[in-house]
Amino acid sequence: MAGTLVRGLSVLAHLERLETRMHRSRKKLEEPQTVQAEETALVTEIQKLRRLRDKLRAEVKRRQAGVKASTANVEPDQTWEITEQEVLERKWENLKAILQAYRFTGLSGRLTSRGVCVCISTAFEGNLLDSYFMDLTMQKPLRIHRHSVPVFIPLEELSAKYLETNIQHFLFTVCEYLNAYSGRKYQADRLQSDFAAFLAGPLQRNSLCNLLSFTYKVEPRGQSFPLCARLLYKDLTRTLPTDVTVTYQGMDALSTSWEEQRASQENLFRTKPLHHVFTSFARKGEMLDMSLVS
Amino acid sequence: MDETVAEFFKRTILKIPMTEMMTILKAWGFLSENQLQTVNFRQRKESLVQDLVLLCEKKRASLNDAAILDIVYTQFHRHQKVWDVFRMSREPGEDIDLFDMEQFKRSFKKILQRALKNVTISFRDAEENAVWIRIAWGSQYRKPNQYRPVYVVYYSQTPYAFTSSSQLRSNIPLLGQALTIASKHHQIMKMDLRSRYLDSLKAIVFKQYNQTFETHNSTTPLQERSLGLDINMDSRIIHENRIEKERVQRVTQETFGYYPQPRLEFAQYKLETKFKSDLNGGILAEREEPLRCLIKFSSPHLLEALKALAPAGIADAPLSPLLTCIPNKGMNYFKIRDK
Repeated sequence: MAGTLVRGLSVLAHLERLETRMHRSRKKLEEPQTVQAEETALVTEIQKLRRLRDKLRAEVKRRQAGVKASTANVEPDQTWEITEQEVLERKWENLKAILQAYRFTGLSGRLTSRGVCVCISTAFEGNLLDSYFMDLTMQKPLRIHRHSVPVFIPLEELSAKYLETNIQHFLFTVCEYLNAYSGRKYQADRLQSDFAAFLAGPLQRNSLCNLLSFTYKVEPRGQSFPLCARLLYKDLTRTLPTDVTVTYQGMDALSTSWEEQRASQENLFRTKPLHHVFTSFARKGEMLDMSLVS
Repeated sequence: MDETVAEFFKRTILKIPMTEMMTILKAWGFLSENQLQTVNFRQRKESLVQDLVLLCEKKRASLNDAAILDIVYTQFHRHQKVWDVFRMSREPGEDIDLFDMEQFKRSFKKILQRALKNVTISFRDAEENAVWIRIAWGSQYRKPNQYRPVYVVYYSQTPYAFTSSSQLRSNIPLLGQALTIASKHHQIMKMDLRSRYLDSLKAIVFKQYNQTFETHNSTTPLQERSLGLDINMDSRIIHENRIEKERVQRVTQETFGYYPQPRLEFAQYKLETKFKSDLNGGILAEREEPLRCLIKFSSPHLLEALKALAPAGIADAPLSPLLTCIPNKGMNYFKIRDK
């Protein structure tokens, strides 16, 4: 009987198995119908999804086209923003350049934490020469904190007189002094460098270039007599001498023609800048050479 | 050639280091290139000096030529002398200074020679319209001592003259007088400023030491350089007192600026002050007479050393104005008394 029990259990299990088999076979008989139904259902589903997909695609395309069209309208706005920034930048660069170029007016300045830094740019006959600076403190009393003006320019004197009372006059006067000094220095430098051939000895000068003394010849290689010139610039705001003395070296009494020549030389130095006088000597020499050749 | 002159030549040339011999002889300009080429510069110094002295004799070199060589040597070795600074002044409203170098030299020589029969005066023009003057002093009965000369450096149309310190103090008033009259000034006084570095003295009195100015052309702001304190160097390092350190840096930069300081070797303070104490009582507090003491700060480069004090943490910032006023006031000798 034990085997039968076991068999009984397995019989039950067997019966279960048979039952499920039966169900399956029944299902298989039914399947074509359900399958078909399921198939058709799926097919319709697929078709539905496809239709939806096409619809969405069309919508995307439409919107893209619409966006493109609208960006065609929006673009001018964006480029307008760019140019505004560019315009501002260009304005900024322009202003900086103008401030830098102000130097060429001769008198310019820049605000500092303490006050203002004034820049005096000197020039002579269109040549830009040295620049000098003064750092002013905007306090009472107004004073020069530091500067690069040479020590032989009477800056203390001028500032004592005008800095507190009339700053404009002070600045213009210092400009005058510095420009005149630069101009005199320029002339003396030109003489020493460009016309050394005309000088019979070294050019004697001083810090302010307001006393020049030299011996020269009108023709560098010629037979002409050496002349001694002494130029005094008593007015420190001018670039032409106030006193000129020209003498023939070692000769006191002169004949009339020589005296005329001497006087005309003096006049030349009094009226023309130093290096121009020597340029005219050089030109006369060239003309003489040319006449000799021809 | 006179024996003393030959000896003077010998000793002057002997002073010159071999490495500089050619440069200095060329700067002197008395012996031409060709003549210098005839001399063997590779021999022992004593023999070289002998050859050179012979050459000078042949060329009839004078005492003045030797003096000029001495000036050239001193120009190359200006740090070997200690320089004093004199300031001259004239009455206000005077005529424009039409400085004539030749006239100045003539006048200077005349004044000294009128007062002292025995004196050697030599001139050498230098750059920036300056002149170096060498003076060898003698006396009524003695010839000038060529081995203890005084040098004067004068920049035309300025009120300042620089003189090498000399033991022979008695002639200084005469020297001052000659300088004043020859340069058309009225008064002269000695400044409380002294150093071996002639160029630094010039920078201080001509106020040429602080020459960076803010212009529209300079793009970098001046505040970027630090005193070696790179706070952001390593993130593993934490700086305590960062705010205080930055404050000290800022104050130091404001006082000393961004430029290289002129070079001085010392600052001397002579104090004549009464003792001041917070504590009441004590022997010194009762003392009526002022205490006298001398404080001297020495350094190979005093102003740079002072500038480094506060950032190094050795002193508080800002430093005492007695220390920071040195270049501004043009003084490194101070006398401090109770007011």
